[in-house]
Amino acid sequence: MRKWFFVIAVIALAAVALTACGGGGKSASAGPIKVGGLFDLSGPTSDVGTPYSEGVRDYVAWLNANGGINGRQIDLEWADYAYKVDQAEQLYSQYVNDGVVAFMGWGTGDTEALRSKIASDKIPYMSASYSANLVKDISKAPYNFLIGVTYSDQAIIAIQWAIQDWKASGHDGAPKVALIHHDSPFGESPVADAKAFADAHGVGFMHIAMPKGATDYVAELAQIQQFGANYVIVHTVSSPAAVLIKDAKSQGLLGKIKFINMNWCADEIFLKLAGDAANGVYGTIPFTPPTDPVPGHDAPAKWLKDHGSSLDAKGVHYVQGWWTMAVMAEGIKRAAAKGDVTGESIKAALETIKNFDTGGVTAPITFTAQSHRGNTALRIYQVKDGKWTRVTDYISAP
Amino acid sequence: MVSGVFHTSYESDMALRRTPAQKIRIALFILFILVFPFFANKYTLTLANQIAIATIGAIGLNILTGYTGQISLGQGGFMAVGAYTAGLLTVRLGMPWWLSIIIASLVTAVVGAIFGIPSLRLKGLYLAIATLAAQEIILWTVTHWKGLTGGVEALVVPDPRLFGLRLNADFNFYWLAWALAGITALVTLNLFRTHYGRAFIAIRDQDIAAEVMGVNLFRYKLLAFAISSFFVGVSGALLAHYRSIVTWERFTLDVSVLYLAMIIIGGMGSVSGSLFGASFMTLLPAFLTNMGRALRKVFPAINAIMPFIQEATFGLVIILFLILEPEGLKKLWEDIKDYFRLWPFSY
Repeated sequence: MRKWFFVIAVIALAAVALTACGGGGKSASAGPIKVGGLFDLSGPTSDVGTPYSEGVRDYVAWLNANGGINGRQIDLEWADYAYKVDQAEQLYSQYVNDGVVAFMGWGTGDTEALRSKIASDKIPYMSASYSANLVKDISKAPYNFLIGVTYSDQAIIAIQWAIQDWKASGHDGAPKVALIHHDSPFGESPVADAKAFADAHGVGFMHIAMPKGATDYVAELAQIQQFGANYVIVHTVSSPAAVLIKDAKSQGLLGKIKFINMNWCADEIFLKLAGDAANGVYGTIPFTPPTDPVPGHDAPAKWLKDHGSSLDAKGVHYVQGWWTMAVMAEGIKRAAAKGDVTGESIKAALETIKNFDTGGVTAPITFTAQSHRGNTALRIYQVKDGKWTRVTDYISAP
Repeated sequence: MVSGVFHTSYESDMALRRTPAQKIRIALFILFILVFPFFANKYTLTLANQIAIATIGAIGLNILTGYTGQISLGQGGFMAVGAYTAGLLTVRLGMPWWLSIIIASLVTAVVGAIFGIPSLRLKGLYLAIATLAAQEIILWTVTHWKGLTGGVEALVVPDPRLFGLRLNADFNFYWLAWALAGITALVTLNLFRTHYGRAFIAIRDQDIAAEVMGVNLFRYKLLAFAISSFFVGVSGALLAHYRSIVTWERFTLDVSVLYLAMIIIGGMGSVSGSLFGASFMTLLPAFLTNMGRALRKVFPAINAIMPFIQEATFGLVIILFLILEPEGLKKLWEDIKDYFRLWPFSY
């Protein structure tokens, strides 16, 4: 009877060994170009992750429908990773094994966790995490490319604008600025740079974290009031930002203090959640929202219309995904024009991109071998009649 | 004809490998582990490495929760201690990776023992909340003590090297991870053949009775926390060197719950159960994602709801397992063995 074990064990061993043998090949110079994708469609950031991923996927579909890259299709291999780092790693190594040459990621979690790995695998990586850490020291993140304005630059631009606005409204001296942020690395990321900038310009500065799981932010607003802030920069995601603004309204602060939301809370979701309270709130928005039409909206709008949807329904994060993928595709296109499409050649090609025009969706994108900080300028918007409306032209961070 | 495994001497009852069949199975398993990487691709190697790291962590948690009966929700925090200590020792002090793993494990053991102090007075749900506090305190410290850990910024750890080989390459790391998993399993199996192990089990089964029999509860509970945390520290330190980057997001409460799920599904108080549980919880999401991708190509219409189907299936499989086989995969494995052992007279 014991020989049964042996027989079964041998069969099991053989079966596992056989299934393990499937291997992947490297992308050749013909056939589809494989690109990997990781999106959050069911995790904590799925509210904004879903439209972003649709933007990326639809750009690929649009590009393929319009002839692809030199006649080669882009094969986007993607999956939902529910913002779980372990799953991101599994999927990443699976796709790299399948021969992807570039990668579209999503959050701070996966982007940070894969930073060393993509460098050793030589896979260019673009995500929607705009942490300044990723571009500060290029030797530490040589394959990360940023399309959005970093959180640090957004906060600095907000302070710059506050100084001008303070003078323009007839005040003397410098204003006081408070930065209220998500209690996470994502939230804390701009604090040090913003403080340094404020100190250098004589601007009073305080920062405070929004406690996790809080149902109101009255205590934090009281501290901000005590400090005497004239401007409050809000760096969090839409739903806590909406709660904060509603609290500010009920405390009667909206007339006295100007609130400036950074990109992850300056979107349509915030407008919907905050309702009336949103009116008058400012936003640092690196990707032009659909309510402010620019030529860069035409292609995605037409694509969505042809597929029974509309750009207004999908919102700014769809545009963000669409154009992030477009910049990556531009790199692949330039690499393909020169020869083999590999991670290394795409990186080199991306580094030749200078003043790339996104049809007004972002400021022109530039990468160099020394800097992957693609974009340092944005426009300030303000909510008027429940819509994000442009109030300044592009402001550049120093 | 045998109707089961019965021991007629203390020696055979206490032996590490009790039956010849077990010896054959272990030999086959080791053979498989040795041969596997030569047939595997990068993806399957990544999965295998994740399983090895998870197995070490799950065995660690099983020593505490499965064998000693002290529930812990602090697993993620303790792994963070191991990972950050190993990372910081390597980055700041330029320590070799192997030394950093050893010291990180010892540091985690001490931290585990400190957070184990409340276990003398607290049991069950109350202890769960106390260890939950450990999880939160450790993660808060890690993200806010900027001078030490760098706070927000991820800690980048240099590649571990051995004789010029990059050890964190999947193929090379495989040997390190599975060797350590093997040592962990062997040490744990032997631990429960000593009086320490028997004291742990006595505490689990009835702590008052154990104390009456002369088991010093305080000492042995702390020891259980320390030994358990030591192995959890090993897995955390391995993770740091494998991924070359340490971020707090890898050690959240989700991780603590995931490891509890591993040992519950695999089998409480069992080394092989830890391996089964770690493999199951690593392979199931990978399997579901791949199924999802395959289905997506056949039925594009379900694209939008696919992630939710995957999540629901994950939950459903776990619930079904718990209902149909509450003693875990280990029991299922034993049932299969019994079926063949007793065949054709199984009943």
